[in-house]
Amino acid sequence: MKSQKDKILIANRGEIAVRIMQACTDLDIGFVSVYTTEDMDSGHVTLARELGGEESIYKIRSYNDAGDILSVADQTNCTAVHPGYGFFSENYRFARRVTERERAMIFIGPSWRVIRDLGDKINTKRLARKLEVPTIPGSDRAIYDELEAEEIASNLFKFQEEQGVKNPVVLVKASAGGGGMGIDEVYSIEEFRQVYRQIRNFSLRTFNDEGVLIEQRIFNFNHLEVQIVSEKSGKHHIHFGTRNCSVQSPGRQKRIEVAPGFYPEGMAYSFDAQKVIDDIVAHSLKMAHSIDYDSVGTWEWIVTPKGDPFLMEVNTRIQVENGVSAQISSIQGDSDVNLIKEQIRLALGDELGYTQEDITLNGVGIEYRIIAEDTDDKFAPWAGEIEELHWKEHSWLKMHTHIPKKLPYQIPTEFDPNLALAIIWGKDLKEAKERGHEFLNEFVLKGKDRKNVSLKSNLKFLAKKTNNLLEF
Amino acid sequence: MDIEKKLDGLSKRVQYARDILGDTEDRRLTAFAQKLYSFLDRNINLTQEELWDKLNTVGESLAVLEKDIDNTLTPMDKVRIVRHSERICLKDILENVYDNYTVVGGKDDMSIDPGMVIARAYISRRVGKKVHNQPVMVVGQEKGHGQEFRNGGCIKPWGNANALRYMKVAARENIPIHTYVFTPGSYPIEDYPGAAQQIAENIYEMCGLEVPVISVISEGGSGGAEAIAMADKRLMLSHGYYSVISPEGAAAIEGRLRGGMRASAELIDSCAKNQCITAKDNLGFGYIDGIIQEPSLGSRPEHFDFYKVVRSEVIRATDEVVLSVKGLRLFRGTAIKSRTKKALTDESVFVRWSINSTEKQRLLWKRYKKYRKMAQHAYEDKRTFVEKINSAKVDAMAAAYSTIRYDLIKKYQTKLQRLAEEAKDEIHVVTNKIDQLKCRVATKIGFTTKTNSEVEFALTKLSVQEEEQLPPADYRHFVSPRANEDREITCPNAEKDGCLEIWSRDLFDEFAGVCPTCGHHFPMEYNWYLANLFDWGTVREFNKSICAANPTNFPNYQNRLDAAKEKTGLQSGCVTFEGHIKHTKVICATLVAPFRGGSVGAAEGEKFVRALELAGKKRYPFLAYVHGTAGIRIQEGTNGLIQMPRCTLAVRRYIESGGLYIVLYDTNSYAGPVASFLGCSPYQYAVRSSRVGFAGPGVIKETTGMDIAPDYHSAYNALSRGHIQDIWDRRDIRRNLHQAFLTVGGRNLYYR
Repeated sequence: MKSQKDKILIANRGEIAVRIMQACTDLDIGFVSVYTTEDMDSGHVTLARELGGEESIYKIRSYNDAGDILSVADQTNCTAVHPGYGFFSENYRFARRVTERERAMIFIGPSWRVIRDLGDKINTKRLARKLEVPTIPGSDRAIYDELEAEEIASNLFKFQEEQGVKNPVVLVKASAGGGGMGIDEVYSIEEFRQVYRQIRNFSLRTFNDEGVLIEQRIFNFNHLEVQIVSEKSGKHHIHFGTRNCSVQSPGRQKRIEVAPGFYPEGMAYSFDAQKVIDDIVAHSLKMAHSIDYDSVGTWEWIVTPKGDPFLMEVNTRIQVENGVSAQISSIQGDSDVNLIKEQIRLALGDELGYTQEDITLNGVGIEYRIIAEDTDDKFAPWAGEIEELHWKEHSWLKMHTHIPKKLPYQIPTEFDPNLALAIIWGKDLKEAKERGHEFLNEFVLKGKDRKNVSLKSNLKFLAKKTNNLLEF
Repeated sequence: MDIEKKLDGLSKRVQYARDILGDTEDRRLTAFAQKLYSFLDRNINLTQEELWDKLNTVGESLAVLEKDIDNTLTPMDKVRIVRHSERICLKDILENVYDNYTVVGGKDDMSIDPGMVIARAYISRRVGKKVHNQPVMVVGQEKGHGQEFRNGGCIKPWGNANALRYMKVAARENIPIHTYVFTPGSYPIEDYPGAAQQIAENIYEMCGLEVPVISVISEGGSGGAEAIAMADKRLMLSHGYYSVISPEGAAAIEGRLRGGMRASAELIDSCAKNQCITAKDNLGFGYIDGIIQEPSLGSRPEHFDFYKVVRSEVIRATDEVVLSVKGLRLFRGTAIKSRTKKALTDESVFVRWSINSTEKQRLLWKRYKKYRKMAQHAYEDKRTFVEKINSAKVDAMAAAYSTIRYDLIKKYQTKLQRLAEEAKDEIHVVTNKIDQLKCRVATKIGFTTKTNSEVEFALTKLSVQEEEQLPPADYRHFVSPRANEDREITCPNAEKDGCLEIWSRDLFDEFAGVCPTCGHHFPMEYNWYLANLFDWGTVREFNKSICAANPTNFPNYQNRLDAAKEKTGLQSGCVTFEGHIKHTKVICATLVAPFRGGSVGAAEGEKFVRALELAGKKRYPFLAYVHGTAGIRIQEGTNGLIQMPRCTLAVRRYIESGGLYIVLYDTNSYAGPVASFLGCSPYQYAVRSSRVGFAGPGVIKETTGMDIAPDYHSAYNALSRGHIQDIWDRRDIRRNLHQAFLTVGGRNLYYR
């Protein structure tokens, strides 16, 4: 029986759009999918046609055009909008607009106030400190006064010395900046003032704001995250364990995610890894409680080589790597967990229906992001036509891709270059690694670009990094 | 006895009279023309003498007829008189009124602006046996008798700049200035320094000229006239006009005509009449001090008697101005005043025209007072008696308070403070030494002055943030009504910059009306600025009950004015209030665009002047926030126009008293106000996407025939012309203003 009540507009493309469609079909909820001119051959369009028929696909000008997307939603009488990840997923204005317009709809994600409050890093840091959640040592608000800034910096050097850091480094960044703009390192207090002034002046010219943040620079850390799922009421929160996302490209793009975050059962760590995992989960849940978090979200942490966790930021959306956490979890013994399904179900007002005790975590999951890029040349994206793409099916393997079965397929250059996500499960880390290698060996990906250069992918890079996963 | 010549002269007079009457035909004139045309044919058998006599009779009866027509001239007829190529021009005056002259600053078409003639002239006067040559600087627009290059007396900005230059020369040489206004209006171009900017500069500088200025107005067209007509005595030729806009222009606006369509003759006539543009009307309003009577149907070059009248009138005016500031004037003052019509040209009383420094100060004060008193009848003061008393009391108290607080106490306060600080600094040297010693000892023993936990605490625990003073929960912040609509707004630059459509609630609330992609500024309500520029709850409006009125009884206007009052909930287009910007107290006057286009009339001018006076008394900085202004309110005629010099004088007084006068333009600001009391500020800023200029694109096209670029008036062009000093993002205004209060402006601000 198809639900008469709800219909979801999927305001995204590619893999996540495919996943949402599948989840909708599983939940018996109607959906509408959108695509742009560049994307008309994408697998999500083909699948949408298959699952929902021709009337479920609409062409829009851009995935960033809110007006266009919402007018499709109005025309098709959608009751909810799923932003996926990227695009509008963490745009609180879009969330507010969806829920506060005259024909209001459900925004599948947190309420706009939560998105706004957690979207501001300074605000998140202050919130965390209020709850005594550990954060990166340094300022927790924009500093405008030079003397105050110098005091913080000198304290930071002193602090790091006491912590036994050999070459202490302090980061100075423009509080209004982002994406690597207006950020510099300081190696000693003597050169602080010069760097501070440079950053402050840059910030004043570029963002018309003089505020700077001063923080400790942490090296060789591991990147962990905690998967939180909350009921729409904002009262019940559970977690689906941790993930380790330390394998990244030089541009800080994740390439391999492993669940759980550490593997104390089979690896030796210089610190109590289980305690770290328990701590960051507890801290994340504490924050979720305190702000009445009301959707699926991820608390991102960095863990220093000495085992000190610091909260970095909160992602108020479903993440790419949601599948790897689902892979190792079971709810009330059922191992078929789909976090996207849970997200939609909860957003439409369902109750959680289980507690933390009902969730068990079992084995190790590895997620590979297969991307056409030249890992030898600064991870430059490769654009061309895919001619061959196949893999051997296994019971322990889940593949998510939006590349259509019908090849060749031209990779659009406008969007992020993810081709496929492979999720591998093993009963322990050793087995997972072996299966990972097996999968990567069997995987076939071939193509040519216009100059007849053959396709470049990160498969080798992934295989190399698989050898020492979760080592710290 | 050249019959032909005489006949020709008579024919010309008749033709002239017919020209003046325009489309209305006077039968008597037609008959006259007929008669003159066939005069020789019909009187073929008369002798020369008989013909001559007959022609004399005809001439006499024509004079009677002219006089008769003269009595029934309509305002529009007078407009036609001053526009006629036969009208006397400045050259005629220079040649016949003054005894000797030298043109300076250009000659004929070899001049920076051939429309502006500047000359050093002499008036020779015989006192006893001695001849005194009294030098004056004569400045005026030269229309010529139809010469192309004179540009019809339309002065380009550099022409006005040249005039100002020589007026300053006159001030240096301590000789009076006589200005003759023969202009239909300024030439509306924005090339550097820009029409508006230069006129503003002219008025502002003339406010402070320390020599007597006499102006004679024949054709006083709006801003072009004001550029040289700001004077201690203003005389007007009886057949001239003095008006804020040409009757045709007014009719085009009244009839809502666009794109060069012509208004009907009736509408033009009615506009000419109702704007009260004639000499008599203006004398009645008090905007001029006297009328120089012209011959019937207006003076032409051959009316040599008339020049004598002009001469004695300007001499008398100059005498009066000079005497009014002189200490010793007992007999001469009475003598000049009691001069009768008959003895008009009597020059027996002699006044030296150079004045000393005390007299100069008195002259400036008198000039301010003279303009301050004007236009008092042209607005409605609905304040109750108690309110008036109260406001007077507040004014007096503010003045007294500032004098005591800032002039008397502050001096000692600063002295004491400085003494205390110096002492502290002295002591610091000693304590610092001790501290250093302590520190050294401590580190040697092994203590650190700061414990580790303290450092850690500072770096990892929540820091205390100074909470901004938040308004109480019931405080209702202004939100644009457009933010309550659920619709999409397309940015005008969408095609060029690829801006996406913006949701109105985002745009008009959080985005403050700024397109997030290209930064285009959509206009916001003036209330938005009141709510977002000033500290919450500090805005206190005053002089609310000074209301715009209809002083000229302009037809169909009262109901429109009432509608504007109802629509905006305001009584005039100017809101004056006191408020705080980051704890700095400010007086602000706002020209509100929705109230009749933000146009300035008598009420707006009065409120502006009062606000300036209050700011001067309280020593607050003054912010003129121009939400938008379309110019001077044409329906009020000269009652509005006079606000240009009037407000500028108040501005000058305020600035000279050591205040800080900041002008902020938003949306569209054009014409009169920009060309006077706004444009004269040394600190002018514009909000992005605003437009600043003198005349709108339509007017420029019509008067100059030039096609102008669409961004001709844009703030960026105004910036590169040097009209404004910077362009501000709307969201930064509050901060930038605060910054300005701290860094720029006069010496006498309360917080300095």
